[in-house]
This record gives sequence, structure tokens and C-alpha cells, in this order.
Amino acid sequence: MRSALSVILSSPVPDNKMSHPDYEQTAHDHATILVLLKPVGTQIKPKTVDRLCERIIKCGSRFTVTDSTNNQREILARYVRDYPVENTEWGDFQTHRRLLGLITFGKYENQTELNELCRLHETFKVKYVQTLYDSRTILIGPNASEKLSEPPPGFTTPFNFKTTGFFYGDDLCPDLEAQILEFLKGLFYVLDYKRLDRTREKFDKVALLKAPFEEKDFIGLDLESRNNRKRCVGRAIKHLGDLSLQAGLYSDAFNNYTSAVVTLQGVNDWLWLGAAYEGQCAVSAIMLYPNLFRSPPLQRNSSLQESSPGKQRRDSQASTLPISPTIDTVRTAKFQVLAPEDISKRYRDAIVHYSKYQNAGIIENEASFKASRISIEQNCPLQAAAFLNNMFNSIPMPEKEKIDRFTTLAELYTALGFTRKASFCLRHAALHYVSQKNQNPDWQQCYNLLLQTTSGFKLSLDPAEMSPSNRRGWPSIQIQLLNELETAANRMGNPALATRHLTFLLQTMYNYLSVNQRRDAALQLQAVSQQCEGAPVPLVLDSGIVIPPANLTNIPRTKSFVLKNLQPHLQPQKIERVKEDHGPFLFTPINFGSLDRKTISKSKVDYLWVDGDICEVTMQLVNPLPFELHVSNMRLLTNGVVFESIPESISIPAESGPIAVTLAGTPREAGELEILGFSTHCLGVKSDCQLKHVDSMIHQLYTVEVVPQLPKINVETSLPRTASFSSADNIVTSASISLYGGESAECTITITNVGQVPVEMVDISVQSTLDSLTKSKVFRWNEEDLQTQLPLQPQTSASITLYMHAAMDFVVPTSRHGSTGVYPSQPNSLLSHSGPSSLPSRLSSPSHHTKRQSEITSSFRSATNSSTGSSSGAGSSSRLSKLAAPLHASNVVEGQLRIKYSGAAGFGAGYCRVSSVFIAIEMLPSVQITGWDVLPAELPTQFYLVLDVTNMTNHEMELNYATNKRIYMEGRESCRIPIPVDRCPLNKQTLVNGSGNVDDLQKVCAEHIASLTDLNWQLLGTESKGQANLTGLTLTQNMLDLVRMSPLQWEITINEKVFKSQDELKCTLGDCVSVGVGVSNALENPLKNLTLSVNLYQDHHNGVHNYRLDSRVSIAGANKVMLPTLQESGRAYYECRVVFLTIGQYKFDIQCTSREPSLNPSVTFTELSSNAGHTWRYTPPIEIKVVDDC
Amino acid sequence: MAVCVAVIGKDNSPKYIKCVDETNALQFHYKVHTSIDIVEEKLNIGTKTVADNKELFLGMLYSTEEYKIFGYATNTKIKFIIVLQSSNATLRDNEVRMMFRKLHIAYANVVSDPFYIPGDQIKSRAFDSAVSEIMS
Amino acid sequence: MKHQFVDGKSVPGAKAEADECLFEYLHGEIINYVVSKSKESSEEDLSQLEWMGFSVGYRIIERLTREMQRFKDELDIIKFICTDFWNSLYHKQVDNLRTNHHGVYVLHDNEFRLLAKIGKAGSRQYLCESPRLLAFTCGLLRGSLANLGVACTVKAEVTALPSCKFNVEVQRM
Repeated sequence: MRSALSVILSSPVPDNKMSHPDYEQTAHDHATILVLLKPVGTQIKPKTVDRLCERIIKCGSRFTVTDSTNNQREILARYVRDYPVENTEWGDFQTHRRLLGLITFGKYENQTELNELCRLHETFKVKYVQTLYDSRTILIGPNASEKLSEPPPGFTTPFNFKTTGFFYGDDLCPDLEAQILEFLKGLFYVLDYKRLDRTREKFDKVALLKAPFEEKDFIGLDLESRNNRKRCVGRAIKHLGDLSLQAGLYSDAFNNYTSAVVTLQGVNDWLWLGAAYEGQCAVSAIMLYPNLFRSPPLQRNSSLQESSPGKQRRDSQASTLPISPTIDTVRTAKFQVLAPEDISKRYRDAIVHYSKYQNAGIIENEASFKASRISIEQNCPLQAAAFLNNMFNSIPMPEKEKIDRFTTLAELYTALGFTRKASFCLRHAALHYVSQKNQNPDWQQCYNLLLQTTSGFKLSLDPAEMSPSNRRGWPSIQIQLLNELETAANRMGNPALATRHLTFLLQTMYNYLSVNQRRDAALQLQAVSQQCEGAPVPLVLDSGIVIPPANLTNIPRTKSFVLKNLQPHLQPQKIERVKEDHGPFLFTPINFGSLDRKTISKSKVDYLWVDGDICEVTMQLVNPLPFELHVSNMRLLTNGVVFESIPESISIPAESGPIAVTLAGTPREAGELEILGFSTHCLGVKSDCQLKHVDSMIHQLYTVEVVPQLPKINVETSLPRTASFSSADNIVTSASISLYGGESAECTITITNVGQVPVEMVDISVQSTLDSLTKSKVFRWNEEDLQTQLPLQPQTSASITLYMHAAMDFVVPTSRHGSTGVYPSQPNSLLSHSGPSSLPSRLSSPSHHTKRQSEITSSFRSATNSSTGSSSGAGSSSRLSKLAAPLHASNVVEGQLRIKYSGAAGFGAGYCRVSSVFIAIEMLPSVQITGWDVLPAELPTQFYLVLDVTNMTNHEMELNYATNKRIYMEGRESCRIPIPVDRCPLNKQTLVNGSGNVDDLQKVCAEHIASLTDLNWQLLGTESKGQANLTGLTLTQNMLDLVRMSPLQWEITINEKVFKSQDELKCTLGDCVSVGVGVSNALENPLKNLTLSVNLYQDHHNGVHNYRLDSRVSIAGANKVMLPTLQESGRAYYECRVVFLTIGQYKFDIQCTSREPSLNPSVTFTELSSNAGHTWRYTPPIEIKVVDDC
Repeated sequence: MAVCVAVIGKDNSPKYIKCVDETNALQFHYKVHTSIDIVEEKLNIGTKTVADNKELFLGMLYSTEEYKIFGYATNTKIKFIIVLQSSNATLRDNEVRMMFRKLHIAYANVVSDPFYIPGDQIKSRAFDSAVSEIMS
Repeated sequence: MKHQFVDGKSVPGAKAEADECLFEYLHGEIINYVVSKSKESSEEDLSQLEWMGFSVGYRIIERLTREMQRFKDELDIIKFICTDFWNSLYHKQVDNLRTNHHGVYVLHDNEFRLLAKIGKAGSRQYLCESPRLLAFTCGLLRGSLANLGVACTVKAEVTALPSCKFNVEVQRM
């Protein structure tokens, strides 16, 4: 609205320019009597002054007087605490700018002080002498005077002191209000008198009224010109209007203004026309908006420093604020005033006119403020804003005024609800406090104002409110503001605050900062924090404002945050117990706390930490800054149980990462532990980085269950460790050993308690893939031995011996030589497969006997019950091969010795730990039985077990296979050895006879053999020795016959002599040999339908038995008898005679066959097969040599 | 012509701001930012009273000695701000209207881009070039 | 479809018809796709379709209101939806608008374009399947209104083909 016209109309006269703008002015102030309230002297307390001022303002802001014509008038007064004399110079232009009254306050104790107070009062009087009507001084002395207006006894006022004083004895000042009102009325009367004076004057006689800067303009002008006379009159009428307004005659005032407008318009007296417009507006505003006397209270008690000039002004204004709200008179306009919308129009006109004068800038600005206040009252924010926008002109003015202007603008914008504009202005005001033009920069004020701007820029200093989801405002502006806040804080000597703001900047604005800005901010922070380390605690400013803590959550940037389980062997495990404590219900349907757990299940880890144990969290950090970052004192932030964090430090090279860091700590009690985040010390700032404030974290917090203390053990073994072990579960150490099959070894396992609490429970078990039977053979230990060593105090050790045995299957049904490639379907047909050539030379005894005999056996078997025998044989062989296959070769048996242990509180809570020892036993084959058979022994109570034994080692082996019988075998050599074994006694067989199953019988017999035979081997040249057993032999039916003790006891007599098996029989040709066969039943049940037969044959020793001996032998008597029954323990005897017709070797085949009659339907097949078609043979066959007599 | 063009979202956050003089960008940020107050006020009046001005173009928001700031708000409460140099006296309201029209068309195209998520910062080359056209 | 948006007004003609068909075919295919994807669950999940509509509505409204004057109030917006908006999308206006003046608006279209092809008046053959054809439009309405500052829920109702009702319920804060 300003135009170039102003330059033409008035040349700058800086001295006359109003230099103390009063932006607080309202339209209503045009109608007020201006009174200065001034404390004098140093004795009076500011508090007393404040209280007195308040009282004066309350009673004297609006009062009624009766004028000379007995009319009631309402008069307004305005009180200021400070008023520049220069402003009174504008009193002609607008009379409300004149200071009419003065009230001073002072306190004295003695005459000297009183004199000084009087002197000061007089000084003020002189200062404002041009406009002052009257003054009062309120003097508080040591004692009260009888008459208020006279000094108390003993005191006198100086002779030149002409002012009416109120002498009070204390600061209660009882009738102050009345006295002040009296004083004010006095002022009014003077004013009204002057007004009346003016009305009586002729307008055209009045001297030209001038604004201060106008003086020069009128020099040399013809004041008597018609134009100037009109100008004179117009100005005089306007002046009268001012006085009338002050004197409470609103109608008169308005009329005066209106006529002044007409006059002044005619002479283009823009400045005074503007003033007349303003006057119209003021009257109208007072009539229309009586309550707008004072703008809403400004911050009255905001921290005020006496020294700060800006604030002082505010203060002086503030003291004029209160107005009793009871005066709520709604004035109905008794005369025509401007319509509301016309008020702003007039103001706009006035402003336009003012703007034509460069020196009227302040007046113009003040008018704008007044206009905008009216617009706010009219609820026309846009209009108000338009007025305020006019204020952004660049009139050169001192910084202080700019500050004033901007703060006032901010206030008004705030009132409009234009928070952004308000903040914008406040920020300008703040910057002017420290601008280069300002001689005494005040960073404190600058900071305070900047802080007030945050709300308008939607910047909250609480990081929680600046999270990405609810942040608002403009980042670029906010960044600048934060930088300015930091600078101001730093310059005003509060590095803690500066650090806080920079930290905040880096926390909340990180994503909006450019790379360079980040670097700069970080470097700046580093520099600032050297003066004052940042810490995550709220900062309280002097003004009471709290700056919440900020944290460097982005520096370094956290990529991941993962809680770690304890090492497997330290993980607590629930001890499985018989659930006896749980009451009668094994399952309770009430799942305690299940709902809770579900809601937080995401962040609750499914493992446990242990009180007293170091627990870890691994993090991945990234340094986004282009310089190396030192992060020290990193700790975990926790909640819940006591947690002792171990500080960690790390250096991250420039722009690198992710780098892993492990934060550790020790929980110190059992319960629930919450991990909230971590704290850092970086760039000189301590930060609490809560996960919920860190970007892209999965969980806001983690919850871990901490169980009570548990002991810790260290486990060592006496054996060397394995090179590597397969499954690394909770294995702490390992042991390895090589054993030959059947060898045993010991391993001492030492358990050391390395924890803080005693080990009270140890439970040892072995886990392996072996079946439990084999496992129990391979691993054995003495449980009791260990238990006696408990409890194991800290730092003590206990040991346990683990016995290991290489339990192998020594029986391998494969014959190594012979049928290669073809797996034999008949495991026990050893002799038929292995030819004589393969028989080892050292095989001692009955070689050919064996062979021959077995051939009979096999052929016989196939004849009698081929179906059952072959099927069972095949079945067992296949089963055996499956079982034996993994074990017969050299292999490694792996096992884990699980040591479950517990103690202390953790034991009470039902937790334990498991440490495992990995044990690898390499089982090397020692001896192997590749084939076997049974042969009749020399004694009927025994039989020979013939084994093909291979030394699988590379060492020479001594094999001790029976009492006093041993052989030496070279490495990899095979031998055939006969072992005399007692036949399986009947009492063992009876156990199975009931069910009568061949398989069972077979098993019993095999066990019988295994129990009686032990092959003790020793490798010569080494310490190794061991024992091979014969478990796993399979026996065919025929073998069983030999193995088993026969149920029939034979008693053979030859020629009436009892025959013993060792006896050698001889007879001559033609002799009659009498053979008596006695059979007795050793079973407990009768045998039925037995056929006892005696046959003779010749053994050709080539596998051919010749039974057709009709021409060579003649038998007298039946060679076959039937025995219908043979009672238990019963005996049958039968005799026949034999005559040999030719010489040669003959053999008796004496056998007893049972043939159960098939008509018995109840007999099962198994019984048939076991009992029915059975043949018992007397072994060995009796051999008789027939020789020629001659 | 225009020295600064800005798009402001429903929530009054900046979605796009481009200045001719990027070194002095912050100054324009402030100008645009404070103009939101007036835009809001104008929109408020629009809903409260039966204002005859139902145009999307909001006219001049305010002026300084150097600049004139114009506003425009779409029906979807997206605000466009254009800052013009005060010295450029030849510009008429209708020309400013045309600028906003162009800007609105460009913006509608941005929103139609399936890869643009409404509410995000505008990073469209097509929009850039439309803005450059307005500023040239 | 796009063709019309650019022009602002529909020009019935052979060229436009092809464009329109394209939208209908595509819409049909999207329905089939969404329905086939949600086949595993027992209940048909049309929310994805609705969401597509929302997204399209949110974007398209910027273009459709470009030449419009500022809306005075909510009713003004709804009226725009019933007239210009509907016309741009479906070549006809909504036949009937009812409101309780408390935030509930019922838009009645006697011959809704997307239903017109599946049955003559009163046909009940595809009555059960018809919600599929309306989910997209519900979303479209909701998205458009959301961008205009009217948060609401939209339900569609079909009683007799090819007419349908859209029930707009504004959510008051």
C-alpha cells in the first residue's frame, strides 16, 4: 500500500520520526487518559509495585464521573509502566499519545531516602512536563502519618516538592483506590476543561497543528492561504474529536471526526485525514465492541528479566491489562457510527494515506495492528491477515522495534489461528535478537522465542511424537529450526541444550537429512557434546519448559537385534518328573495365563535364560556416516528382573556395516526379563535406543523367562578327542577309542563344577542309535559310585568310569572262501561247502569222522523233515544276515553320554542342564566265525562244536577256546577248531518243551552254547585282548539233536558187556555178537509208539554207506521192535544177535523212532514236527571190526 | 513466470516443492508453508458460508514486496501454491488460473500412475516437466 | 474407459462402445480371477475386488472433479456422485437418491450397467452371483468419497436384476 508518493511528500527527518512504536495499542486506546506508573528509588520491592499497580489498574481503568452539566460520563484510562518522551510529541496528532498523569511509588526509611524519592518524582515530572496534567506519589515510610497527604512526624518533604504525596505506613495502602479515583477525576476535569476551551475557540483562529516530522514541511508556506486555513480548521476539528473521545463524549467525537474528514479530504491532507478516519473507527469500535478494551491477557508472568528491553515493554503493557469483567454494558449506539464492515474499510483508507508518508510508518503500522484487532473481533481472519500482511514492509527501524513488531504480529496471528504465520513471525523476531545489526545480541531471548515457534512448525521436541507415523509439518523448515535452536542454545551458553537439539535432529529428521547434512550435524554434535555430554534425561529450562530426552537411534543404525539362546549345553531343561505334585489331575483344562501369552507371544522368546549366567544379544550395526564411529558403553536396556549389563565398545569404520556386536549381561534373579533396547555412548551422547523407537525393528521389546540359578560343569575324558563329531547338540567334549571286537576299555570322565552353586543331581544316560540291549553291552558305568560323590561343590571334581566293550557279532554265516559272490542260503552247511583242502592243517581231532557223520545227518534230515528244516533255516539265515551286517565289519559306534545335572534354586524349580560327551568307538573285527557245525564228542554228555574261526586282525593271535586249549593264528588266518561243549541239559529244554517250538528250542540251545563257550583272544605283541562269544549261532534240527541231551538214555551191551563209547570192538568172522539195547525215557512224559531198530552198515569212507549187507551179516532176531509206550522213567530192553559173514568194518546204526499215530486229530503240526517223526540215534555209532580168525 | 510451485497434501505436508532458485529454496518453503494458514482459512469459509466463490482457484493468498503467492485447492483437499514475482505486473488472474489448471492436470496424471501411492512424495518426471513449463 | 475420462463427457458412438466393452470384459475377468483365487475358503472373498475399486476410485476422482466447482457440503458431493460421476462411468445418472440427512444415502440405479448384460428384467438366474459384479463399484464409491473427505462404508443390494441399490453410510468422527 505504500507508494512512491511518500518520498515526494516528506523527506526523511529521522529525528522527528516516532521511534517507539506502541504495537499493543488498540482502537479503544484512543479514548483513554494515559497514566504512567513508575516506581522510584531502590527500596520498594517489585512485588509491592506490581500489587499496587494492579490495584490502580483495577479501580481506575474505567470510571464514571459527573461532568459540569451533571451528566455521567464513562472515562477510560490506560496505564503504562514506561513511556518514551518522544511519543508525547505526537500528542498533537493523536491526543491519546499524551501522558497526562504520573504516579510514582517509593519506599523510604529515613529523610535522605525521602528526599531522594521526591527528587526523582520531580525529575519525572520535568521529563513529561509538556503534557503532564498532574501527578501523585505513593510513599511508603516507616510509619504512617496522621494526614495522608503529609509526611509522618519527623519527616519533611523538600521545599521544592509540590506534588501531592500519599504517605503510607506500610504497603497495604488502605484507601489507595479512593485516592487514585480522586486523582483521575482531577485529570478528567483538566482534560474536559481543555476540551471546552477548544470548543469555545474559533477553529479558524487555531494555530496549525503538526505532526512532529511536519515542522519542516511548513516552513515558508503561506499559512494564510485558503487551502492551509482549511487544513488548519480540519486538523483542529480532528483534535477536538480526540479530546471529546478521551472525555467520554463519543457522539461529539464522532461528529467532529466526520466533519474533519470532509474538511481534510478537500485539502488532500492525507496524514490527518487518516487520523480522522482512525478516530471514526475508534469511536465505532468502542460503541460496537465495548469489551474489546484490552486484548486477551498476554503472558504476564513469563520470565522477565529487568534488563531485557523487549520484555519490559511487554510488562508495562501487561500491567494495563486487567479490566473488571463486570462492566459488561452493552452500549446501544445512540448515534450513527460506522458499520462493522466500514471500520476495516476506513482503516484501510487510513493506512493507505499514512503510507504516503515515510515518517508515518510507525503510525501506519500501529493502525494496521489496531485494524487487525478489530477484524479479529469481527471474526474476519482473512481481513485481519490482510492488515497484518501490510506489516511486512521494510521500513528501516531498530532491531528492537522489529522484534516488537514481529512478536506482536505473532500474537495476533496466533489469535487468528494462523499458527504457521505466527511461528514465522516469532522466528523472525528471534533472529532479530541476534542479527548482525543488533549491538547487544541476546541469544537467550532468541532461543526462548525460537522455542515458541515449534508448535507452529508442528515440531514437537518429544521424539515419541515425531515418529514417522504421526509426524507432521515441513521437514526442511523443521531441520532449519532445529539447527537454529542448536546455535542459539550453544551461543547462550547451554551446550547441554545444544547437544539435545542436535541429537533430536539426528534422531527424528534423519531420513530427511541429506548425506552432507547428516555428516555436518554429527560432527557438530561431536563438537558440542565435548562441552557437555548428552544424556537421556529431560532438561528443564529456567522457564520451566521441559525438553524431553532424545536418543541417537539412527547412529549407528541397527540392522538387527536378536536375542541369543544359551549355548546348548547350558540351556536349562525341564526335569521330567512324575507329576505327583500336580494334584489328582494330570491335565488341567485351565491354561493359566494363556491369553496373556498369546498377545505377547510374538516378542516372547521360546527359550530360557538362567540367573547368573551370561546371556547375549547380537546386533548388527551400520555406520552411515563418512567417518569412523566410536560407540562405547553399549549396554542392554532391560526391565523386570535385575540385570547386570556388560558394557561393550566398538569402532565402526566410515560408511560400513553391518558389523556384528554382541551385548551381554547377567540376570541376577529369576523371573521375567524384558529387553527394551540398548544404550549407547556415541558422538558424545548417551542414548537409550528403545526398540520401539528404532526403525524397522520386528518387535518393540523382547521378553525372556529367567530361571533360577543352575550349576555349570566342565566335562573331561581320559580319552583323546575325536577329530570331529557329527551332531553338535549339547556336546561339550568327545572321546574316541578303537577296540577290537570283544575288547573292553575304561574311560574316566571327570566332571568339574565350574559354576557358583553345588551340583546336587547328576543323571547319566547314553544315547545312541544302537538297540538298548547292545547299548547296555557297549556302555556301562557305575551309577552309585557317582551318586556318592554328590553334592559337588563349586570348583570341585567328581569322576566316573565308563566301561566300554566292543560288542560285536562274531558269528558270520558267510564263508569267506568258497562261494564268493553268492550269499549262501544254507548257513550251516559248512562242511559240504568247504572242501578238505581248505581245512587247516592244525585242525586236530576227528576230521573225517565229522565229515562223514555230517553227511549222514544232512541227508537224513532232508529225508525226514525237509520242509520244516529248510524253511526255518532259510528264515533264520535271512534274519541273521540283516542283524549282523552292520556289525561284523569294522565300524564306528557313536554314542552320547548325556550328563543331566542340576542343583541350587534351579533344581528346586525343576530345571537341569545337559552336557553330553560324544563317544566314538571304532570297533575293529577281531575274530570271526564264518562257519560252524556240531559233531558228537567222545563222551555222550558232550559234543564238539566245530568252528571256522578267522583272525581278522593283522596280528598274530592267541585264541583260547577251551580249557587248556589254544591255538595261535597268524594275521588274517582261518582255523577250524573243535570245542567240546556239554550238551544242553534237559531242564533247560523243558522250559520250551511246553510250547514245543523249534525256534525257541534252537534259541535256548544257542544260548546254551554261547554261555559255555568263550573264545578268549589275545593279540600277541599288543595289550589287546578280548572275548568273543558265540551269540547268533543258528542250529538246525540235526544239530539240535546233538546239542541237546537225548531224552532217551541208551544202554548198549555187546556180548553181555556194557559198551562204552571208547571201546574198540573186535570179533572174528562167524562169531555171534549179541547186541543188547536198553532205552530208558528221561522225559517227564511217556513216549508212545516207538520203534527201536538196530541196523548194520558199512562206511566206505567216501560218503557211501552200504546198508545192503544181507550177504555179509545175518541178524538173529528182529532188528526192529515196536514199543507202544515208554512210560516216563520207564525202561525197555531189546536184544538181538548178529553174525558177520565177511570180514570188514561194520557199524551199528541204533535208533529209536517215534511215530505218533496220525489218528489223533488234536495233535498240532508243530508237535508233529517236533515229536512225531523224530529219530534219536545212538552216537557215536558202534564200530565193530570183523577179522578173520586165521 | 512462477518462481516456486508447491503441492501440499491433505494433511498439509509438502508433497512437492520446486523453486527456480534452489539455493534459496528454504525461503520459499517458509512462504509456502505460511500460506497454508490462509488457504485453510479460505477453505473454511467456503464450507461455512454460502460463498459465491466456489472456484478451486483461491486467488492471491498474500503478497510481499517481492512476491505474490497464489493458491488453489482441489476438491480432494490437495493444495497447489504458486509464487510469482511481484514485479511481473503483466500477469493477470486468468493466466495464473491457467497455470493452476495445468498443474492440476499434471497432478491428476500423477495420481493415475498405478505406481504412485496417493499421499507419497511426488517423484514423477512428467510432473517435473509440467512444473518446469509453468516456471519457465 | 479412459477415453471418457479425458473427454469428461461420454460420446455414444461405435468407437466409444469398443472401449466400454473392454472395461466390461476386463472387469469380468478380474472377478473370475479373484473368485478363483478365493475358492479354497468357504466364503467368497470379494474384499480384494473392493480394494481394487477403492484404489481406482481414489485416483479417478482427482480427474473427475478437476473441472468441478468446490463442493459445498456432503450432499453436494453425493449429488455429484449421482450425476456426473455416474454418467462418466456408467453413461447414465443414478435414478434415485434418498437420504435421511444423517449420513445415510441410498443410490438407486434401475439398470446398472454392469448388471445389464447378465439378465433381463426380473431374471433370477444370476442373482446369487451378482454381488461379485458390485464389489468393484462399492469400492469405487468408497474410494472416491474417501478422497473427497467423506469416510463411509458402501453396501450394495440387488433384489431384481438389473437394478441395484448402493447404500452409503458416512462414518462420523
